[in-house]
Amino acid sequence: MARASTLRLDDLHLAQGQRSVLEGVSGTVAGGAVTALIGANGAGKTTLVKALMGELDPLAGRVECTVPRARRAWLPQQLALDLSFPMSVEELVMTGTWPSHGALKGYCAAHYRRGREIMARLGISGVAHRPLGELSGGQRQRALIGRTLMQEAELLLLDEPFANIDAKTVDILMPIIRQMADDGATVIVVLHDMDHLKRLADDVLLLRDGGGEWLSPAAIAAPGSPAHAAGGAPHA
Amino acid sequence: MLDLLHAWLIAPFDYGFMRRAVVGGLALSLAAPPLGVFLMLRGMSLIGDAMAHAILPGVALGFLLAGFSLPAMSLGGVLFGLAVALLAGAVSRMGGQREDAAMASFFIISLAAGVMLISLGGSSVDLTHVLFGSVLAINSTALVLIAGMTSVIVVTLAIMFRALVVECLDPLFLRGQSRYSGWVHSVFLGLLVLNLTAGFQTLGTLMAVGLMMLPATSARFWSKRLEGLIGLAIVLAMLSSTGGLLLSFHLDLPSGPSIILLAGAGYLVSALCGRYHSLAARFRRRARPLERP
Repeated sequence: MARASTLRLDDLHLAQGQRSVLEGVSGTVAGGAVTALIGANGAGKTTLVKALMGELDPLAGRVECTVPRARRAWLPQQLALDLSFPMSVEELVMTGTWPSHGALKGYCAAHYRRGREIMARLGISGVAHRPLGELSGGQRQRALIGRTLMQEAELLLLDEPFANIDAKTVDILMPIIRQMADDGATVIVVLHDMDHLKRLADDVLLLRDGGGEWLSPAAIAAPGSPAHAAGGAPHA
Repeated sequence: MLDLLHAWLIAPFDYGFMRRAVVGGLALSLAAPPLGVFLMLRGMSLIGDAMAHAILPGVALGFLLAGFSLPAMSLGGVLFGLAVALLAGAVSRMGGQREDAAMASFFIISLAAGVMLISLGGSSVDLTHVLFGSVLAINSTALVLIAGMTSVIVVTLAIMFRALVVECLDPLFLRGQSRYSGWVHSVFLGLLVLNLTAGFQTLGTLMAVGLMMLPATSARFWSKRLEGLIGLAIVLAMLSSTGGLLLSFHLDLPSGPSIILLAGAGYLVSALCGRYHSLAARFRRRARPLERP
């Protein structure tokens, strides 16, 4: 059930330090769809994601977002996660109850059950009580997606979620991300791999030369299109 | 045998000062180790040391203005410690200097200022007392003060426990979830100041850190779970504070160093034969590869 758009970019200008990165990006990100964000290295993908999360103030223009902060989930490429912290996978997934439980409310049996269901869907039930530091990269990524599922995130920003991740994890995560979008969430994924893009994306936003172009996945993934991989310019 | 045990372990508590000392020690042992565990997990183990120096000028000012009055000295310590923590936080935010660098600068200034203040107004005996404490001189006012401060710490920690855990693990996630995420760190530093002030009467400003950090760092060799770390650290702190008191009573040793050295012995033993990452664990690991997987 697709919903009205939850995210609008209005003539957005962004800078990283003294360097202007994006100038005049506008557009609407559809709710209930997966939007792929592509572009060469340094084109401003991560900068845009930061601005969407409200972590970076725009120089000009605005980001309009109707999703409350607590229902936005962001998995940055460089995780701020402290992996030496003694916490198990299940405990990490359960912290996703923050929007409903906050810092004080106790978890009840129903929430633990939901946590276990989520872990089963992600195939990480076997490592539920393992400390985070002992997981593989793929298991860790699945645990983090588990937290966003628990959070019932309505806006999901994934910065290269499939980089350095095993194929099995990719196969598990793709349909789950698809399902989240089908349930109405707005999903924005930074991607490099054209194969992943073909499988997942409904819309594409290509960042190039400080501007943004909205494209259809078919146009990007067309054979012979040089938009492959690092997101160079597609032939018009 | 029973008589001997009684003489060693029970009889000392016939004295009122020993009873008060052990209660004060146990109260501190309940509040300090959880703070130490979080400091250790955040890689801020030395911040406790810095804060301990930071409360010194406040304690000295209280001493100069009100004489040897524990409430005045404690109030001074808490206020000064909080001021230093705030200043260090402000400097690191505006200048891009890391918090530990700002903290290091402020604590050394504080230490010098504190020693200067005490020297101007008192004698070296007073200085020794403030720096190294005197567990055997705890009166009932001091005990109430210690119990009150440690209760505040334990209750506040219980309330903010989940927030603190999430902030340690993934500050970015907490920032997205809560408008109050910035407060978690500040309140934590406030508890730290409170704990060090509660401990300075018993252990002295410099030794108060010991009861916070040593049980926590020892527990790391035995447990990989947060609950285990905290529980074990509290038990170790209680054993060291009570054992240290008894040692100081029987062998006529200064009480603060006895308590901390006993905790230090616990650390060394843990580092040698603990379950994880200890010398013994390394030896076991090296011996194992020949076994079947």
